[in-house]
Amino acid sequence: MKKLWMAAVVLIFWASGSYAEDFLSVSGKLHLRGVVPLHSESVTEYPSLLGQLKVDTKPSPLRFHMWLEGGWDGSVTLPVEDHSTLKFGDRVYQSTTPFLEFKELYGSYSTDWLEVRAGIQRFAWGRLDEYPVNDLLNPWDYSQFLRKPLEDRKIGVPSLSTRLSHDTWSLDAVWVPVFIPYRLPLSTERWSPFNQMVARFNNLPVNFLTSDADLPSRNLASGSGGLRLSKTGIVDWNINLFHGYDPRPVMKATQLIIAPVAGQVAVEPGTVADFHKMSSFGVDAAFVTGPWSLRAEAAYAIGRYFNTNLERWGYPAVPAFGVYPLAPNEHKSDSLEYGVGADYRVFEDCLLTMQAQQTVILDRPDSLYQQKFETIFWANLRNGFLNQRILTNLNAAYNPEHGGVMARANVWYVLSDFWKVGIAAVGFWGPDQSLFGRYKTNDQVEVDLVFSW
Amino acid sequence: MTDKRILFFLLAALLLVPTWAHAMSGREIFEKMHELRLRMLNQKTEATMVLYDRGGGKRVRTLTQYSKNAAPEAYKVLLIFNSPADLKNVGFLAHARTFSDRSLWAYFPEFKRIRRIPTSAQDDSFFGSDFSYDDFSGPPNLDDYAFKVLREETIDDKPCYVVEVTPKIPRKYSKYIAWVAKNLWVSAKVEFYREKELYRLGRFRDIRLVDGLPTPFILEMQNIKSKHRTVVTVDKITYRTSFPDDLFTQRALERGGR
Repeated sequence: MKKLWMAAVVLIFWASGSYAEDFLSVSGKLHLRGVVPLHSESVTEYPSLLGQLKVDTKPSPLRFHMWLEGGWDGSVTLPVEDHSTLKFGDRVYQSTTPFLEFKELYGSYSTDWLEVRAGIQRFAWGRLDEYPVNDLLNPWDYSQFLRKPLEDRKIGVPSLSTRLSHDTWSLDAVWVPVFIPYRLPLSTERWSPFNQMVARFNNLPVNFLTSDADLPSRNLASGSGGLRLSKTGIVDWNINLFHGYDPRPVMKATQLIIAPVAGQVAVEPGTVADFHKMSSFGVDAAFVTGPWSLRAEAAYAIGRYFNTNLERWGYPAVPAFGVYPLAPNEHKSDSLEYGVGADYRVFEDCLLTMQAQQTVILDRPDSLYQQKFETIFWANLRNGFLNQRILTNLNAAYNPEHGGVMARANVWYVLSDFWKVGIAAVGFWGPDQSLFGRYKTNDQVEVDLVFSW
Repeated sequence: MTDKRILFFLLAALLLVPTWAHAMSGREIFEKMHELRLRMLNQKTEATMVLYDRGGGKRVRTLTQYSKNAAPEAYKVLLIFNSPADLKNVGFLAHARTFSDRSLWAYFPEFKRIRRIPTSAQDDSFFGSDFSYDDFSGPPNLDDYAFKVLREETIDDKPCYVVEVTPKIPRKYSKYIAWVAKNLWVSAKVEFYREKELYRLGRFRDIRLVDGLPTPFILEMQNIKSKHRTVVTVDKITYRTSFPDDLFTQRALERGGR
């Protein structure tokens, strides 16, 4: 099967070169990136080289679209089970040095009132920028979480989607028949949220073992689906329904094992990715008033799982060789999430985007780290100079319940229509378990060189 | 005596003809332009946009624009960038319910999201160029402006009315002066002012008749302060198109047009 996929990739490359002039539109990008960690104790990352190839047939009722990505993503090579170059979304932990992945690969047929798409797709439901609460159809790749923009984090899912349109109304229906898990970095990778566990053993030469999860069976019962009713006008609004596996990660604690193996200390942290179905009902809307472009969304999730405070998982205060059963660490509750966002053009080429969003865990026990109300404020100031030859971005986020902060700044210089170079810096502050504080050793500067054609 | 009277009236009439022509009001001139722009609305344009830096550097973009006269509403416009790769499939959609009430959207494939653009941003830079969003929309609501004919002048061998146009609604310019080619009813030159300061200068050249409609094939806009300029060259234009409403939807914006 995988050989067949590889053959398809080669065929697509060949076709894109041979027939581009006639009926294909081909574009691509090469992105070289180097990271300078600002904390000596943090995990390093190799320079990465990523390639992107997009192929589209020229507009017609029958269309084909492909977005292939691949390369070496810079995460340190580790002995993970899955070494296949072409990714299928069948593992939580994957080696991505090197890798090839179809972010999107679908065919579509459209008429004036109907569009049907089949293949690997990514969807963008909801209105918020960072955590659109109605955007649940695609699991995320957390391997470089908070460094990657939202759309880059999304993993394409094999799906069948239809859109019925009439006048200013449309109805989207999506069926994802095959379960695709979210992707996590290994506990020893730079962007692992469990780096603090590594710190617990940092006096020992440890070898962390990672257990991949038992994924839900790949049958129709493990599928997901969604409906979205849209109306455009003075106010654009949508009603969203989703039923399927929660795309946000939750970990199940099993047992911690610390054992001597070949002169090293082998540590099995005893956490595996867990998957639960949930349902969500939400609304979103966007409109303009005066100089403001406003958007808002809300979603009520039924049966969502949350992890308890890490302190309650049962990890020993002083680790020693042995087997430590861990405590149940998941809690099921309904939750309500909502947020508002606003764009304001400060001047000609300067856009200020602000966003506030809140999660309410309706049945919150004291064992959770999250508060009943969890709030995040985001602000982004994007500025273009010299007719967008220089682009700057200042981004800040604040989580008042835990005092977590993230600040990010980047500058791009567009050298030509093909080349651009950029530099970015990101910093995190906050308690170990908070959304931003868990990455506080990941402060870094990165340099980017992009060639696109 | 009767013959002398007739001769007198004929002479007077001949003398008054240019006076009547000159006496054409600014509003009437812009009504003629409006009428022409309505006829030009049903069209598809393929164009190349070149951004020239002060230092001589340039960036090239290609785009496709579709528009339609959406009577009894005003008009609809869809514009899609085809290149460079960074801008490919970035799009702009305008739906004008009336000539003064319109919704604007932009689509950025990188974020897969459509954003609404406030009407107050209509005079801002159109995707880094020296043109504005308004320059790529349809005709304006004439009631929102006051017009005053200043003089007549010849530009690029074309006799023009020079008309001062002052917005009655908040705009980012305080007035503009348009050189409107007589009998063609298209602008040959436009100067935009903030208070008394000239900040944007547009020149529209190579006016050709396409399907009987006078069409500038080279449109240049210069930012006086930054010395940056943008030149749009029409590569191909087709009038009398009849695109379905389906082309001017958010769905089409996401799909990159047809």
